[in-house]
Amino acid sequence: MANTRVESWTELSPEPSWWAQWKLRDWAWFAGLSVAAGIILGLYGSSFGYWQFVVLGAWYGALLVAGLAWRPVQLASIGIVLPALLAVWLYSIGQTTANNMLLRDVLQGYAAVMWMSALLLAATACYLFYLFSGRERAGQWATALTWAGVIMGFIGLGVRWRETYLGHPDWGHIPVSNLWEVLVLFCASTPLFYLYYEKRNEARALGAFVMPLVAAGVGFLLWLTFAQHMDQIEPLIPALQSFWMKLHVPMMFVGYANFTIASLVGVGYLLTERSRRRGSGMLLRVMPSSEVMDDVMYKAIALGFLFFTVATILGAVWAAKAWGGFWSWDPKETWALIVWLNYAGYLHARVVKGWRGTAMAWWSFMSLWVVSFCFLGVNMFLSGLHSYGKL
Amino acid sequence: MQAHVDGLAWQQPRWRLLVQFLGSMRLAVSLLVLLAIASVIGTILSQQQPYQNYAMQFGPFWFSVYRELGLYNVYRTLWYTAIVAFLVLSTATCVTRNSPRMLREMREFPIRQRDTVILGQDHWVRMATTLPMDQAQERILQVLRAAGYKPRVEQKDGDMAIAARKGRYHRLGYFLTHIAIVVICAAALYNADVPVKWAEWQGTLKPEQNFDLPLSKIPRTAWMSQNNPAYRGIITLPEGQTANAVFELAGNGYLVQPLPFRIHLQSFHISYYSTGMPKDFTSRVVLYSPQGKVLKTGDVRVNHPMSYDGVYIYQSSFSDGGSLLHMKTYLLGASGAAPGELSGRVGQTLHAGNSGYAVDLKNFNLYNIVPKAAVGEKATPDHPTLNLGPSFTYIIHNPNGQAAEFKTYMTPMRRGGQGFFVQGYREALGDAYRYIYIPTGPNGSIGLFMDYLAALQSAARAGANASQAIFTETFQQVVARHAPGMSTTDQSRFLQAGMQTLVQLHDYPMPFILSLSSFDHRWAAGLQVTKWPGTIVIYWGCVALVLGIFILFYIPQKRIWLRLRPRGQESEGVELLLGASADRNRLDFTKEFKRWTGTLEQALGVDHAEYKEQKDGQHTR
Repeated sequence: MANTRVESWTELSPEPSWWAQWKLRDWAWFAGLSVAAGIILGLYGSSFGYWQFVVLGAWYGALLVAGLAWRPVQLASIGIVLPALLAVWLYSIGQTTANNMLLRDVLQGYAAVMWMSALLLAATACYLFYLFSGRERAGQWATALTWAGVIMGFIGLGVRWRETYLGHPDWGHIPVSNLWEVLVLFCASTPLFYLYYEKRNEARALGAFVMPLVAAGVGFLLWLTFAQHMDQIEPLIPALQSFWMKLHVPMMFVGYANFTIASLVGVGYLLTERSRRRGSGMLLRVMPSSEVMDDVMYKAIALGFLFFTVATILGAVWAAKAWGGFWSWDPKETWALIVWLNYAGYLHARVVKGWRGTAMAWWSFMSLWVVSFCFLGVNMFLSGLHSYGKL
Repeated sequence: MQAHVDGLAWQQPRWRLLVQFLGSMRLAVSLLVLLAIASVIGTILSQQQPYQNYAMQFGPFWFSVYRELGLYNVYRTLWYTAIVAFLVLSTATCVTRNSPRMLREMREFPIRQRDTVILGQDHWVRMATTLPMDQAQERILQVLRAAGYKPRVEQKDGDMAIAARKGRYHRLGYFLTHIAIVVICAAALYNADVPVKWAEWQGTLKPEQNFDLPLSKIPRTAWMSQNNPAYRGIITLPEGQTANAVFELAGNGYLVQPLPFRIHLQSFHISYYSTGMPKDFTSRVVLYSPQGKVLKTGDVRVNHPMSYDGVYIYQSSFSDGGSLLHMKTYLLGASGAAPGELSGRVGQTLHAGNSGYAVDLKNFNLYNIVPKAAVGEKATPDHPTLNLGPSFTYIIHNPNGQAAEFKTYMTPMRRGGQGFFVQGYREALGDAYRYIYIPTGPNGSIGLFMDYLAALQSAARAGANASQAIFTETFQQVVARHAPGMSTTDQSRFLQAGMQTLVQLHDYPMPFILSLSSFDHRWAAGLQVTKWPGTIVIYWGCVALVLGIFILFYIPQKRIWLRLRPRGQESEGVELLLGASADRNRLDFTKEFKRWTGTLEQALGVDHAEYKEQKDGQHTR
C-alpha cells in the first residue's frame, strides 16, 4: 500500500561542503577583504614589524569570520570604512574642521561620536515605545536607528585614529587609550552584538532592556565630554605604547559588550517570568520565549567568556613584556579574574549541572555589577597600574 | 563533571569518598566563587604598603589582626594559596576521574544502542512506515547526509542500527581547558618563589628590615641563593654605577637576590612630547660577567625589556641619582655680604657653616613644565603651561628643630618684563606650597634685591621711618652702588615688584635663601630584574585554554541513534526508533531535530509519529 508522498520522494543530495554554501556576496566579501589587506601590505608592508602582521591578520580573520557568520556585518563594514576613508582623504588634502563642513559636522571623530550618541538615544526611545505599544513600525525604526548609531560610532573611532596623528605624528595611537575613547567603543560595540542576537532570534523586544543601559553609557560619555572635556586627544604615556593595546582592549570590549547584553536579557527574563506568574502584562505579548532568552544569555556569556579569556591572557602577556610579570595583582587584573571566575562558575552551573531559569537569570543580572565594577569602578575608586583610565 | 553521589557512597572506601568530594562539581563551583570573593580583599586594601601606613590607618589592634590574617599581601598568604591549590586539586581529580570515560567515548562510538539508552536522549521519536527495510534505510541515510551527518549502519538478526555523530572532539575541549588551568596554576606557583617561601618558613632566610644598609652590610640571612630558579627584584641604579644584586620586598622587609652578571647603567634618558608629558624612558645598560667581560650592551625601555640568558631587565622607574648641586646662600638682611657657596649631592645633608642649620637635599628635577596655576599664575588657553627649568627640593632644619620644605626653581620666570626668582615653601608636609617671587637684577640673580633688603634694614636700624621716600631713596643708593647701568624703567619695575616681595617675606620661615647656580645632573634608573623559567609553559597553557574554550562552546557533540525493526506479522514495513542529543546549544539542536525529523517523516511516508513529550516552557533544575 504505497503512499503518494512516498512515491513523489526525490533523492536528497548530501549537505554541500562549507565552501559550496558561500553565496556570491560572501565571495565578494572574501575578495574585498583580501584586496584591502593586500593594499595595506603593499603600501605599508615594508615597514611592518612582525606584530603589525599579527594585528592585520587578526583583524582580517575576525572580519572575515564575522561577515560570514552574520552577513549584515559585510554592508556595515563598508558603511564604516568608506566614510572613514573619505575623512582621512579630506584631511590628507589639507581640509580641516575649520574649512570643511562635512568634516566639522559629521565625519570628524568628535562629531561622529555626537551623532552616535543622538542616534542611540533615539533608538532607545523607539525600543521602549515598541515594548509599550507593540507597534512593529516602531521596532523597525529602533533597529535601523541602532544600526545607524553603531556605524557612526565606529566611523568616529576610525577617523579619530587618524586625527591622533594630525599635527603631531608622534602622538598617533588607536583611540582606546582613555576612558572617553573606550566608552565610545563600549557604546558602539554593545548595540552591535545586541543586533546580532536580535536578528538571530527575531527578538526585538530585548532591545528595550539592552538599550537603556547603552543610553546610560551614552549619558556618561556626554558628561565626560561636556563636564570633564575628556574628548581631547592626548599623547600616550610610555606604558601604553605597545601593539598589545590594539588587541587587548578591543577584545576586552567584545567581552564587556556580551556580558552586558546577557545581564540585561536576564532582567528581561526575570520581569517576563514575573508577568507570566501573574498571568498578565504587556511583556508576555512582545517578549520572546523563556527558552530563547535563556539561550541568548548563555550564548552571549559564552562568546564574551571566550573573548574575555583571550583579552585577559593578552593583557597578562603584555604585562609580562612591560612590567616584568604576568600577574601583579593590580586591582584591574584582580577584578578581571573575579569576572572570569564568576562566569566560569556560571558556565559550569549551566552546562554541567544543567541549571536553567530564574536562578541563572539572577546570576546573569547580578554579574552586571561585577562587570561594571571591573570596567569602571576599579578606575574610579581604586588605584593601581591601570590608573591611566582615571577620571 | 558532576559527581555521582549515590546512596551507597558510605559503603565505599574512604579514599573513594575523598576523590568523589574533590572531583565534585559542587566543590568546584564553590571554590570558584570563594576564590572570587577572597580576591576582592586585596583590591579594597592597597597591598604591600609600609607597615606604618597600615598601623596609622587601622590602629594597633586591627593592624595586628589584619597582619595575622595576611591582608597586607593577601595573594601570597598561605590560606589564599591553599584555596588555589584546592581548586587545582579539584580540577586535577575531575580530569583524572573523567578521562577514561571521555577518551573511550571519543575513540569508540557504538552504532547499536539499547532502546532504553535511545529513550533516554533529549529527543526521541517513534515512527512506522510501510516501506521495506532496505528502501527505508536508504532514505534515512539520505536525510541524515543532507543534514550534514555521516551515518554508519550495522545489521544484525533482521533489525538494523544506524548511528551518526558530529563534534567527536568536543570532549577535547574539556581536557584542554581543565589541564590548562592545572598547568597555568602550577607554573604560576613555581614562579611565585615557592623555594624562597619554604626557606623563609624554615628560618634559613630572614628578610632584612633596615632599608638604609649598604649592600655589603646586609646580613647573609637576607641573601637568596644565586641558583634561585625564579625571582623578581628591583634595583635603583644611579648613572655610572654597577650592581650585581636586586631587592625583593618580603613582608615588612626585603631580601637580596644576587645576579649571575653585573648591571652597569651608562645613562638614563627621558624624552618628552611637546606638552611636557614624558614620551619615553630609556636606560642604556651594559652587562658584565663577574670576571668583567662585556656580555651585552643595549637600551632598556618601557615595553621593551632586555633579555640575557633567561633573565629579563625592565625599565620600571626613575629618580635622581645624586646630582651635584652648587648653591648660593643669601642671608636675609646681611648687609653687603657676598653670597655664601654651598655644594652637595642630592640625598646628602649639608650643614650651613656652624650656624646650626642643616639642609637635606631631597630631590632634583631637570624639567619643570608646570601648569601656570601650580605656581599661582593665571593660565591662558593657548599657554596653559610654563617652563621653569630645573628645580631642587630640600628641607631646612633650624637649630630649634623646626623644619620647612622648599622647592626652588633655577630659571627666573618673566612677568611684565621683570624676571622673578620663584620659590615655594611649606611648613607641613601635606600643605600646598606657598610661593614667593623675588625680582632679579640685571645680572639675573637675586643679589640686587638682597642688597636692597640689607640696605633697608640698616636704614631702619638707623632710625628711618618706613616711608615711600625712604624706600625709593635707599633703592637708588643700592642701584648706584651695585647696578649702575640699570635703566629707569627697569628700576621702577624692580622697585614695584620688590615692594610686594617685602610683604611676602614677612611669613618666610628661614633667615636665608638658597639659589641654584649650577648642577651636574645624574639620574638613577629603577630596573626590575626577573627570571621566570615557567613562562613558556604558561604560554602553552594559555593557548590550550583558549582552544579548549572554543571547542567546548562551538563544536558541540551531537549524537543520533536509530533502530529499525520489521513491523511484525500483521503488516509489512518497518518500525523506527530514533533518539538524539546535543550536549551544547540544545535550543539550536531542538530546531535542527524538528527540521530533519520532519523531512524524515515525509521521506518515509509516515502518517503517525510519536515524539518525546517536551516540557514546554518548563525548566529542569
